[in-house]
Amino acid sequence: MKKVTLLFFATLRDITGERRMIKTIPDDMQISGLKEMLVDEFPGLKEIMASVIVSLDHEFAFDNSSIPVDAEIALFPPVSGG
Amino acid sequence: MVGETICKITESEVNLDELLGELSKNSTGAVVMFTGMVRGVTEKNSPHDTSLLEYEAYLPMAEKMMWRIANEIRTRWPDIESIAIIQRTGKFLPGDPTVTVACSAAHRDTGVFEAAKYGIDRLKEIVPVWKKEFTSQGESWIEGDYIPQPGE
Repeated sequence: MKKVTLLFFATLRDITGERRMIKTIPDDMQISGLKEMLVDEFPGLKEIMASVIVSLDHEFAFDNSSIPVDAEIALFPPVSGG
Repeated sequence: MVGETICKITESEVNLDELLGELSKNSTGAVVMFTGMVRGVTEKNSPHDTSLLEYEAYLPMAEKMMWRIANEIRTRWPDIESIAIIQRTGKFLPGDPTVTVACSAAHRDTGVFEAAKYGIDRLKEIVPVWKKEFTSQGESWIEGDYIPQPGE
């Protein structure tokens, strides 16, 4: 098992009610597994998960990305700066 | 001649005259500056009035992605001298400037117009910043529609 930090922004923060969480996850868990785990914990995420963007240590991550120890993982909707 | 690269998230208003000075060198003959601001009245698509926009950023990643965009600009338009990509966060009223993208070059036909446009277009795709819109109907997050692909 390993520890990771999760950050939630914008609608993701509203749905989870969390800004930052520390989670312990299985060593072989990839981003897809992490998403499934979060949908189980926060069912409100289910509908939007297909368009949720994930970053891993400040780089975009994808379903088959593996997760390093102490990773900082952020989840957010498509960006809307400008 | 490669000049300055300024990439930052800030709460402060950008002083455009000062920025113009920072982006100009002896060899500079053209600066294109784009400034985005809060639009109070939207007429296209779903017409509505905006009373306030609140911006938040995932700061370290936002600045990292801005640097990525600056590098992309330099690869595509090698004659660009200086680049500024500056996004403000906080609460803003109609008429307030919220973002500035500026590029400088020796001449106007170096791609400097296209480079500045590319900068603001890419910012709206990959820089993790979000805005919440407040209208007379309530408040809601505005979401973009770009999903980054592997390699971005």
